[in-house]
Amino acid sequence: MENIKSNFDKIMEKFNDSMTHSAPKKLSFEYLTDSFNDSGTLPKKRRHDNSNISCDDSNASVSSIPPSPWETRRIKADLIEAKSRISKLKTEIERQHKLRAEVETLYESKVTELKKQCDFSANKVQDVEKHLQVVRKREHGAKQELLRTQRELTQLKHRYEEELHKLQRDKLEIEDHSRQMQNSMENELSEYRRHTDKLEMELQLLTDEMTNLKSVLNEYKQHSSSYETLKIEHEKEQQELEVANSRIKELEYQIASYEDWKEITKKSQTRLLSIPDMDKELERLRTNNKNLQELLGNKLLLEEQVHDLKNRLAREEGGRNEAVALQVKLSHMEQELKDWIKVAQDHCLPNMLVSPMALRSRIEQLLQNDIIMISEKRNTQSETKSIKSDLLDYKQKCEIYVKNIEELNVALKRHKNFKERIQRKLFLVSKERDCYKQLLENFEKDLTFSNANHAVDGGNGDVQLRSRLDMLEKTLVGYKDMCSNLEKELTNAKQLPVADQSIENVISTETYEHIKKELDTMRLENERLRRRKEELELELEHRCLKGDFNVGKFKVVHLAQNPAAEAYENSNNLIEKLQAEIERLKRRNKKLEEDNEVTQARMNETTNMTINIKEMNQLRAELEATNSKMKKMKECYKSASMEFREVCYLLFGYRVDRLGLNTNYKLSSMYAESPDDYLNFRLNESNNALDMLETPYSITLKPFIESQLVGNKSLPAFLSALTLELFQRSTMTMS
Amino acid sequence: MSTTQSTKNCITLRGSAQIIVEYLKYGINSILFQRGIYPPETFENTQQYGITILMSKDKKIEEFLSNVLQQTEDWLAKNMIEKISMVITNAHTKEVLECWDFKMQAELGDGETGDATKLTSSKELKRIQNEIRDVMRQISATVSYLPLLDCICTFDVMLYTLQNCEIPEKWDETGAVFIQNAQAVQLRSFSTGLHKVDTVVNYKMAS
Repeated sequence: MENIKSNFDKIMEKFNDSMTHSAPKKLSFEYLTDSFNDSGTLPKKRRHDNSNISCDDSNASVSSIPPSPWETRRIKADLIEAKSRISKLKTEIERQHKLRAEVETLYESKVTELKKQCDFSANKVQDVEKHLQVVRKREHGAKQELLRTQRELTQLKHRYEEELHKLQRDKLEIEDHSRQMQNSMENELSEYRRHTDKLEMELQLLTDEMTNLKSVLNEYKQHSSSYETLKIEHEKEQQELEVANSRIKELEYQIASYEDWKEITKKSQTRLLSIPDMDKELERLRTNNKNLQELLGNKLLLEEQVHDLKNRLAREEGGRNEAVALQVKLSHMEQELKDWIKVAQDHCLPNMLVSPMALRSRIEQLLQNDIIMISEKRNTQSETKSIKSDLLDYKQKCEIYVKNIEELNVALKRHKNFKERIQRKLFLVSKERDCYKQLLENFEKDLTFSNANHAVDGGNGDVQLRSRLDMLEKTLVGYKDMCSNLEKELTNAKQLPVADQSIENVISTETYEHIKKELDTMRLENERLRRRKEELELELEHRCLKGDFNVGKFKVVHLAQNPAAEAYENSNNLIEKLQAEIERLKRRNKKLEEDNEVTQARMNETTNMTINIKEMNQLRAELEATNSKMKKMKECYKSASMEFREVCYLLFGYRVDRLGLNTNYKLSSMYAESPDDYLNFRLNESNNALDMLETPYSITLKPFIESQLVGNKSLPAFLSALTLELFQRSTMTMS
Repeated sequence: MSTTQSTKNCITLRGSAQIIVEYLKYGINSILFQRGIYPPETFENTQQYGITILMSKDKKIEEFLSNVLQQTEDWLAKNMIEKISMVITNAHTKEVLECWDFKMQAELGDGETGDATKLTSSKELKRIQNEIRDVMRQISATVSYLPLLDCICTFDVMLYTLQNCEIPEKWDETGAVFIQNAQAVQLRSFSTGLHKVDTVVNYKMAS
């Protein structure tokens, strides 16, 4: 660009130079033409010289010879041509100039644009580079993340696999455990089953034992009953014995008393002999007794009398005291009565009889008076109230009047002002009138003068004067009219205020008062009505708020199936249900009351039920205790029986064994030769005796049986004989 | 609400009735919740008028209110209702404990037209809803001074209609309710331009 510019500048400089030096240009043109003509074959210097010469020539020709018309024409044409060429060139130059400027601006704009673009692209490049860096960083980060995540993934995989393994192992363990548990459970179950079987068996055994024990117990019971019968018999015998003893003692006593009687009879006989003396003594004593009784009666009578008199005395003394008190009271009362009478005399009319009735009537009268006074007082109070209200009204009225008066005063002032003004006007008018009158007089004087003058003058002035006179007279008449009018007006004006005043006075005195009063009453009425209206409005609003409404204009509707109705129905149902329940309960209560005993029984039952468990426990405990007791007893009995048997065996030389349930007894002797040598007996319950049964051994003892049993009919003897026999036999063998 | 505005900012009589009925629905539900007439767990939150209002989930109550409010809307559109009362009574003794009155006053809206049914109002819906919101807030605030309802209560909705109004099926004529020893409190009012609604609560003074 710079190059272009500099080039262009150079061109321009050259051009300017050519433009400023116009003369040479001209020359050059000539030279150009020359050159055109000569076709430029001449050397430069020569040409220069030639031109100078030609110039000189031309100058010479101009000065010396007038140029030919053709030549001038040609020159002129040349000149014109040159000029046109110059102008063309100039326009060309300008165009070029413009073009250049345009181009320049275009270039500049383009340059700026390009610069902008360049900047923009550079920025963009930078941005893109930054972005690229960021992206690379991100990519790098992402790659790292990927690696990290992969690593994590592998770690997680490992972990999960481990966990899986662990879980599987756990699962296997749990399964094993469960299997073990199952096995153990089964084992336990079987154990428990066995245990239960064992327990059942034990239970059965126990029940069997129990039945056995029961039978034994029954036996024992039978035994005890037999013992008891024996005891009773024994007691009976003892009683009989006692009866016999008492009989013996009675008899002995009778014998003793018989001897006593003998002595008594002796003594009574002696006493009978002394009876007549005693009779005499009795007589004497009786009389004595009678006397004494009489004395006693007298004494009692006297004592009674004394007592009576004492009582009387006491009563009399009490009465006397009372009488004194009463006298004192009486005097007091009399004093009071006197006072009362005095009071009554004071209050009663002088000529009237003093009596309570009169006093009462007086009091009643006074009370009535009092009542009347009170009512009067009330009346007066109400009157005062009304008067007060009236007073207030009057005050209000008075205020109103004062206001009216003020207004009237103001009006009066106004009127006075008006009057003054009118008077001033009147004064002015009268002055004017005086002035006019003076003027008129002047005129008249003038007229007389002029008349006199004219009369002197005469002639033509006479006509003139006459016309003037007429005119003046006319004006005078006009003035007079005006004056009279004014006077009339003045009189009117003078009269008018007085009339107005009077009229106003009349109005103010009569109608005004009336109107004012009316106005006041109206105002009061208005106020009253307004107050009433406000009150009513307030009430209306209140009622409106409270939900009052015009019944005639509106009606109230609601949906038949509303929640309220539903709720009412529900509550009713509930109440009915409850009432039914109450009825039911009442009936039940009644029934329960009726069946009180039954319930009592039931109650007992229920209590029994509760008690049963306790009782059962108790019974169980008792049972256990008794069982243990029985066991102990059994052992005790067993040992005792063993001991007893041993002792019997040692004492009597026989072992007694009870065989089976039948009352069979086996006897085997101490000195028996073999254990098979035994005797058999059976208890015969019918005659309470022992029957001997046959045994193989008994057959060998026939002689003994015949001698002892049949002969002596004694078992002990038989047995003792047998013992002795056997003893001797054994000693014989021993010896 | 799309039918409320036939054109922009223009409420017809029916639209006004719809607005009022909507207010009644939310108002009655709010009262039911606030006064504890039904257990609180049978209510759920709803956003309306820019505040949270609890609405009953009880099917019976919903059905009852929809029935009543439909009829109310019909009558309101004909300007046949003087007031609507929500009465709270003791379920066992039937004693009236509280009465919420919603008084309706017809207004001319934009001005008189030849046909009364073609009245319109150009009051903005937003403004109306703001007014309603204020009333709803006041209803919520009444709990602070109204006496505690310590018995099982129930409610009913009564419409005070003109005498010439026909009673539809399932509807009954009943008497006005009166509260012994009553105290009245007037809440804010709102207006749709065609209806002015005053909300008043009457309650039994605690003896």
